[in-house]
Amino acid sequence: MVSAPRILTYQGIPVWRHVQIIQWAVQIMSGIVVVALVVWFFSNMVGAIQDRDIPSGFSFLSREYQTPIGEHFLPYDSSDTFLYALMVGITNTAIVAVAGVFLATALGIFIGVSRLSTNWIVSKLAMVYIEFFRNVPLLVQLFFWFYIVLELPGIRESVVVADAFYLSNRGFSMPWPTPTDYTVALIWLGLAAIAIVAGALVYRRQARMEEQTGRSGYPLIYSFATAIVIGAITWLVLSFATGNSPFDISVPEPQGRFGNIVGGFTARAGLMVLLTGLVMYTASFIAEIVRAGIQSVGRGQTEAARALGLSPMNTLRNVTFPQALRVIIPPLISQFLNLTKNSSLGGAVAYSDLTNIAVTMTQTAPAVSIFMLIMASYLAMSLTWSLIGNIYNRRIRFVGG
Amino acid sequence: MASQPTSRPEAILPPRSEVGVIGWLHANLFSSLLNSVLTLVSGALLLLGLWFGLKWIFFAADWTVISELGGRFLLGRYNTEAACDGQNCFWRPQAALIMVSVLLGAAWGLRSNQVARTIAWLVAGVSAAFAFLPYSLETMGLDVRILLLLNLPAVPLGWALARYTPLGTGTRITILGVAIFFITLILMRGLPGLPFLQPVSVVYWGGLSLNLILAVGGITLSLPIGISLALGRRSNLPVVKVLCIFFIEVFRGVPLITLLFMSQTLVPLAFPEDMPQNSLFRAAVVITLFSSAYMAENIRGGLQALHPGQAEAARALGLPGWQTTLLISLPQAIRNVIPAIVGQFIGLFKDTSLVYIIGMLDVVAIGRSFIQSNPEFLPSARELFVFLAAVFWIFTYGMSYVSGKVEDYLGVGIR
Repeated sequence: MVSAPRILTYQGIPVWRHVQIIQWAVQIMSGIVVVALVVWFFSNMVGAIQDRDIPSGFSFLSREYQTPIGEHFLPYDSSDTFLYALMVGITNTAIVAVAGVFLATALGIFIGVSRLSTNWIVSKLAMVYIEFFRNVPLLVQLFFWFYIVLELPGIRESVVVADAFYLSNRGFSMPWPTPTDYTVALIWLGLAAIAIVAGALVYRRQARMEEQTGRSGYPLIYSFATAIVIGAITWLVLSFATGNSPFDISVPEPQGRFGNIVGGFTARAGLMVLLTGLVMYTASFIAEIVRAGIQSVGRGQTEAARALGLSPMNTLRNVTFPQALRVIIPPLISQFLNLTKNSSLGGAVAYSDLTNIAVTMTQTAPAVSIFMLIMASYLAMSLTWSLIGNIYNRRIRFVGG
Repeated sequence: MASQPTSRPEAILPPRSEVGVIGWLHANLFSSLLNSVLTLVSGALLLLGLWFGLKWIFFAADWTVISELGGRFLLGRYNTEAACDGQNCFWRPQAALIMVSVLLGAAWGLRSNQVARTIAWLVAGVSAAFAFLPYSLETMGLDVRILLLLNLPAVPLGWALARYTPLGTGTRITILGVAIFFITLILMRGLPGLPFLQPVSVVYWGGLSLNLILAVGGITLSLPIGISLALGRRSNLPVVKVLCIFFIEVFRGVPLITLLFMSQTLVPLAFPEDMPQNSLFRAAVVITLFSSAYMAENIRGGLQALHPGQAEAARALGLPGWQTTLLISLPQAIRNVIPAIVGQFIGLFKDTSLVYIIGMLDVVAIGRSFIQSNPEFLPSARELFVFLAAVFWIFTYGMSYVSGKVEDYLGVGIR
């Protein structure tokens, strides 16, 4: 009894179990859902704008802003336009971001290295610093510094150091170079840039010489000397040729009955508080990054360097730290981004940063447009930091095996 | 019978400068001239700092601003006439606190764990200790004090529930936790129609309880959202991938403050006018999504660090793709980035203080507004913010301590 043989024919995967079809269906569906949501939000928004007569568009940018800005580094007047006021805000944020990044990196590296010190007290002090500043909200720290600065002596009883540095509850003033003649100053700055490039070239040459021959080339000393000598010579030549030096050091000085400080560079209370808070806060994160980076370098590296007779300082500078940099740079860049974004808390301590100015602007200008501009600005700043980080990262990347 | 060695070579003891206290001092503080100088300088700084710090804390500082604010630190303007017209609302947050104590007790009962027990008793103990604050009975009534004391029996109750009732499984306790979170929200918000649960507008929510509610909600939701975003970003479906990248980068590129402000001015416009609107809910959503974007990047880092052999082995053993991800890749990836995840939780908790921008009076904002409206307390601002820093520090440091314990338990870095 032989039953008829069943012929098995391959009929293909059923549609509902076909991986690629499922994947595409999921994608198309999620795409449709997102597009539908966006369209719905957008139509609601357009409807609301028309119904309630909310202003929109970007025509406001050329209108006069007519609101004073507390602190500004670009010259600013209430009759300037919205666009220019936004530029003032971007400059304010950028200045805090750049100054903060430099100071926080310096402090963070110092504390991170202290954390790894063999000295018990130093290491514990660094730990206390990190654990405290990292775990307390920046806002609380900023308010703390804000009220500390408020309790500083008034401007007429400023704390004066060497007749050049003034500290009061209005701010901190210090000597600052100011150009006497803009053309001369610009020419000299151009020449100084050339001097720095020359210094860099000398550094590279001496370093290569050192590598190839084994004789000390003192690259750092030679390069600095080159840059300084070229800078000084061009400075002198320009001074003699034009009759006045490119830059003057302007020293702050109290003037008038109210003791207002004129000249020099004054960081007003808001900037001072914001910078102190941001630097102390971010430094604690950078310190942890530096510590982790240095610890990620194998113990053998340190031991080998010490066995070869390098001093602890030299081991750190020439062996451990350069290798640690590869681990340190990416998270460090994200801390730079965080610092830049955290500067948006400036409004809480009377510093007119970009967010603060933009929030004030929404009272007289369309919020939608302003937010698009702010997002673009912050995105541009983030991209700049990432770009710098990526370029540097590529340079120090592990080459070869 | 073990035989005692009759003679052995005289063992040379290590030099006295290498062992004991002297050895420790030598190795850690005075190993070289430079090190000794460093020790003396930093030691002097430390002593000076301690001397002035302690003198300030115990003698110079005027802590009356803390007692003056009192309950407002915890509840903001919740328990005022304006918030709760003609009715006492004080018991509602108190009841929520007791439920939390029960939950913590249950968590302890579930895994008789030292850390869980400490946390449960600490929370209940501190709450109960508040019952003995030296306020007059008019400012802090007997009913409030009794409700606070009830936190103490709540812990053993939770423990017993977990031990001797069918409630004692991980899943059920988790469900209980989620339920308690929602019951807390309902208790705080009130239900229209119920005579004893009169609605209280969210604008009166505030103080530390607001920070904690935002943080707990955000932490529980940002982890799953972050995981989905991370998986989406790593998926090979182009549409899903692009959407996830766009979401993550937009939320990471803009300061939280800007997003919070946007949530109050723009988001209401994007919904129909007749939809019920709640500013606090929008803020909570924004904080959660913001944190999820960072969480996604942390988890993606963990997934990238995972050896591809793990997933390949799982596939070779016949696990389907979703099981490979859920059972093999994700658990290992998450375990490896616990510090980053907890760091993000801590960041979220700290970020809850930013709700000041939308006018909510959280624990920081209420202190600040108190100082601003009572200029006689202006000199006490320092004390106030030192106190606030200590409050936040206890919570955030506690979180990183627990994370360290969890890492030990999971053997991170050992196996």
